[in-house]
Amino acid sequence: MPVKSIGTYDFPSRSRQELYGDDQLVHVWFQGNPWFCAAACYRAPKAMRWGDFWSQLVVPWAEEDPDFDPGARYAWSLHGQPLSPGDDETLEALGVVHKDVIGMRVEAG
Amino acid sequence: MTIANKASRAPKKLSMKQRYQVLTRDLDWEPTYVDPKDVFPHTEFEGITIHDWSKWEDPFRLTVDAYCKYQAEKDKRLYAVLDGFAQSQGHLTLTDASYLNAMKLFLQGVTPLEYQAHRNFAYLARHLNGPGPRFASLCQSIDELRHTQTEIHTLSNDNKYYSGFHNFQQMHDRVWYLSVPKSFFGDALASGPFEFLIAIGFSFEYLLTNLLFVPFMSGASFNGDLPTMTFGFSAQSDESRHMTLGLEAIKFLLEQDEANVPTVQAWIDKWFWRGYRVTALIAQMLDYMLPRKVMSWKEAFELYFEEQMLKGLFADLAFYGITPPRHVEDAIAEKEILSHQVYWTLYQFSHAAAFTTSVPTAEHEKWLAETYPETFDKLYKELWDKERENIAGGGRHFVRGLPQLCQVCQIPMLFTEPGDPTTICQRESEFKGEKFQTCSNGCQWIFEREPEKYVQAWLPVHQIYQGSCGGPTVPDVLAWYGVQEGDSGEHRGSLDDRRWQEWHADSVKEGN
Repeated sequence: MPVKSIGTYDFPSRSRQELYGDDQLVHVWFQGNPWFCAAACYRAPKAMRWGDFWSQLVVPWAEEDPDFDPGARYAWSLHGQPLSPGDDETLEALGVVHKDVIGMRVEAG
Repeated sequence: MTIANKASRAPKKLSMKQRYQVLTRDLDWEPTYVDPKDVFPHTEFEGITIHDWSKWEDPFRLTVDAYCKYQAEKDKRLYAVLDGFAQSQGHLTLTDASYLNAMKLFLQGVTPLEYQAHRNFAYLARHLNGPGPRFASLCQSIDELRHTQTEIHTLSNDNKYYSGFHNFQQMHDRVWYLSVPKSFFGDALASGPFEFLIAIGFSFEYLLTNLLFVPFMSGASFNGDLPTMTFGFSAQSDESRHMTLGLEAIKFLLEQDEANVPTVQAWIDKWFWRGYRVTALIAQMLDYMLPRKVMSWKEAFELYFEEQMLKGLFADLAFYGITPPRHVEDAIAEKEILSHQVYWTLYQFSHAAAFTTSVPTAEHEKWLAETYPETFDKLYKELWDKERENIAGGGRHFVRGLPQLCQVCQIPMLFTEPGDPTTICQRESEFKGEKFQTCSNGCQWIFEREPEKYVQAWLPVHQIYQGSCGGPTVPDVLAWYGVQEGDSGEHRGSLDDRRWQEWHADSVKEGN
């Protein structure tokens, strides 16, 4: 249902991708870990390699949890599907688009 | 020439009712050389049909002189209390300096909304076609301005001694958690006049007022804050008038034309959920910020919302074909978990706030466990136990990063799936090829109803990343917020806490 308005009502998104240049916003949702009240939001270059994304953005955030183990095995997901990122793959190559939510969960066993 | 009888020349004294009639109806006229649509251009585009504006009943029938007389008397009483409290160093008799976190939240989050309400009711006082609702809106507009002023004046005494009160207006415009109430009201201000009446006059002032405004005043009375309590009393008679206006507005719209019913129902659905999400801040205030508890959020929700509104008000509105708000079941299901989830969030982000937080004491935890027997020990106690260990090891849980925010309510995406308090609720919608996340079924429904509106949301996290908030680091952003040393972070050992201990140690020494 469109907004009922006295005049033309057409405004751009205030968080559209072009406002971030070559970067995009990416969310990381640490599932099954209530220490973090919400998923994290990062600004990351589309061309950032997964290994750098992990070590420069995710680890410094997650290690604030005293139980966080960067060496643990993690199950990743994107768009409701499992994701198997390689360290050298870029976010773009992995199919991560602006404002996507990447799921992260410690694998059992 | 005849000399008129002196008695017959004396002006006839009109009754209050007559004076109201003269003021509202006799000062109104039908335009003859201008099309009424040009005089009142904002009351048709929302699709609401009004057949007869004279059917608006204003049960209070106030006149300007009566209004001014009542308000002046109330102000006199309030200012006498403020003077007495200031002169006797009354702030030292509060339960604890940490109580003032509730008042910081009130001054930063609620007082600026009073001013916004003043502005929009002034707009309604010009733009509604009927003289009755125009005058009622004028009175409410003046009330809201008076509330803004008296709240600022009342809390200015705290600003002399405590942190977090010094820059509330700038903070309201800029700080992340204050974008929640600000964007809520901005949404209403950007609506047409009738939607505003339902959003603020009905949902905010009637449906949710006992969960939004009253808890602060009750919290004040339980924690020794006489000035705020007196302000609350001073506002109470205005608030009952505002509630009546809200109720009159909805009944008027429903009675004027049956075709208005679905539109009004959709506004109730939207504004219930918008308002309810703002109450998340109140829920944690009641259960965590008040040293001396008034009632739990769960009790307040059951009494003021489930009993009084769902069983009372909505039973009456069923006559018009109005049903309880959409998503109300999700709100009811959250009453046992809401405050815990929200305080845990504010706790871990309070390094970037203008209030302080602490781990609950043993006594406080006992109260939480007794009050929330189904949830506290099972879901939240272990988090606080882990945090105590973290603190013992030299840590303090402050998140190193920024959270994902809901596109509609702007609260960090902390809420959980209905029926599953351990899984965060993530909803995603797409509009013009862009993804937008929301925290709940309610916020997603609101987004998808008017996506063009919510894509414009000024989300604090996104704005920080766009470079609009002073710089990329936490100190840069805090400086831009106007936050100073002592305003934020851990309460124990904070500037306010240290001063409080010092002042009370002095009184012990002096034998007071």
